[in-house]
Amino acid sequence: MDAPESKGTAAPRQSDEQVARSLYAKQEKIYPREVHGLYARLRALGVFGLLGIYYITPWLQWDGQQAILLDLPARKFHILWFTFWPQDFIYLAALLILAGLTLFFVTAIAGRIWCGYACPQTVWTEAFLWIERKIEGDRMKQKKLDAMPMNARKIRIKATKHAVWLLFSVWTGFTFVGYFSPIIDLGRNLVASNLGPWETFWIFFYGFATYGNAGWMREQVCKYMCPYARFQSAMFDKDTLIISYDELRGEPRGSRKRSTDPKAAGLGDCIDCTLCVQVCPTGIDIRKGLQYECIACSACIDACDDVMDKMGYAKGLIRYTTENALEGLKTHILRPRIVIYALFLAVIAAMFVYSVSQRVSLGLDVIRDRNRLYRETDEGLIENVYILKVLNMDATAHDYELRVSGIEGLQLFKDMRVIRVPGGEVLELPVRLRADEAELKERSNEVVFELVATDNPGLSATEHARFLGPR
Amino acid sequence: MDDLSCSNQPLRVASVAEKRIPRMQKCIAVLWPSFMVAIVATGLFFSAFDPVDLFPFGHETGISRLGVYTLGFFTFWLITAVSGIGTLYFAVTNCLRANADKQP
Repeated sequence: MDAPESKGTAAPRQSDEQVARSLYAKQEKIYPREVHGLYARLRALGVFGLLGIYYITPWLQWDGQQAILLDLPARKFHILWFTFWPQDFIYLAALLILAGLTLFFVTAIAGRIWCGYACPQTVWTEAFLWIERKIEGDRMKQKKLDAMPMNARKIRIKATKHAVWLLFSVWTGFTFVGYFSPIIDLGRNLVASNLGPWETFWIFFYGFATYGNAGWMREQVCKYMCPYARFQSAMFDKDTLIISYDELRGEPRGSRKRSTDPKAAGLGDCIDCTLCVQVCPTGIDIRKGLQYECIACSACIDACDDVMDKMGYAKGLIRYTTENALEGLKTHILRPRIVIYALFLAVIAAMFVYSVSQRVSLGLDVIRDRNRLYRETDEGLIENVYILKVLNMDATAHDYELRVSGIEGLQLFKDMRVIRVPGGEVLELPVRLRADEAELKERSNEVVFELVATDNPGLSATEHARFLGPR
Repeated sequence: MDDLSCSNQPLRVASVAEKRIPRMQKCIAVLWPSFMVAIVATGLFFSAFDPVDLFPFGHETGISRLGVYTLGFFTFWLITAVSGIGTLYFAVTNCLRANADKQP
């Protein structure tokens, strides 16, 4: 098949046909080589820290209950001393917007640092790679094992690996469900093999997703499934931190003896050992320039620095740098997009903190009795009936005082003398309002219910309702 | 997206490329974005509606809140995935037709 002409590009480039073939080709398995060095240690720190936070957090207790419990079955979300309700969804939305903006901000400054050190996909893949290395051995041993025909030893090693992966995954799934359903009960039920069907389902569903994503899909998630990988370049500019190969210094590349003087031999500093390619978890060659597959894990920096050391050359042939710095220009940290992101972040964060601190942990809903519009009492007064829903979002019980206003001489009748609502509960309270017909200005009059906690005047809620009459 | 684009390709190449998009990639293109949207939809829906209010007789069927959330999530996923299949279908067929028109 002949290749279609590429339009409008001066530089010779791969034809579309070739691009299509390489994009859609079944890709070869990548065996990332283990790497040691400064950035590998930082990454290990990230992996341990973040996985530690993930697996330990649901077990932490606060005031006798789970410190962070997004209790879906009970529809209450406990975060330390706060209890949020589904009505507080707006806070979650704000939190997500903040997280998104933070990602933009960090990306503009430091590039894909999120991908390399903190993304769950990277973190769990690193953990799975570590397990794989412990069981199957290093890169060469893994390749050999995969190439050999099936035999008892291969089956044994592969089965061990997958068993350990699966166990780790199920534990991950169990921890995940533990964020949404009290984990201590969950553990007890697991031991007694008395888990609910839905909890069981989600433990295995999440476990399976972990196993699939970190064990099998790995870098393909970053290449084909990650939306951030596709649009992160929009946040990049010439001052963004990237990992780059110093082409000016490295080229022309070529192998040589350690004793060879590269200048005399007309060579650059790159000895073409291809270690940077071997350690790459996404299987790219950083020397070809910035590519969207690069998750900025900096494994190639460690590998190359090691080689430069052995050759007696200066480190940093591959390094964290910016496009401007590579071209010998000054790198600016403060630039318009950074300032704009920072401003947005600061404003939304301030609004978030303020609104959470001002949040009143009392909810009031007034529902008119639907059966009749109004009733005339024996004394000739007009009566309306309402049901009040009092939602105490605080952790402790409160007594409340109810006031009504809006019509001259409005009378309030309720069955309960004291309105007491235990912490975290809803009380349904039927009330009747009576007014003199002469005081009604219209057929439908506005009345205001005001509920105030007797022990804390700051804890109050008001709600408007209609009072109907014959006029 | 790169995987689906065929704007510069004549029909022949496009149809070859279309066939060559591995089934796995098509599945992911449909199932993955719909999965994420379904999570958002489920969160929004159930923060507004309590399953207990939606199905007052739920206790008789024995489906807990967690069960209703789960079924709700998969219903949303099914709906969003169907929409994704539609998008994929139209993207591929439209692009084939557009290329057919370009042919002399």
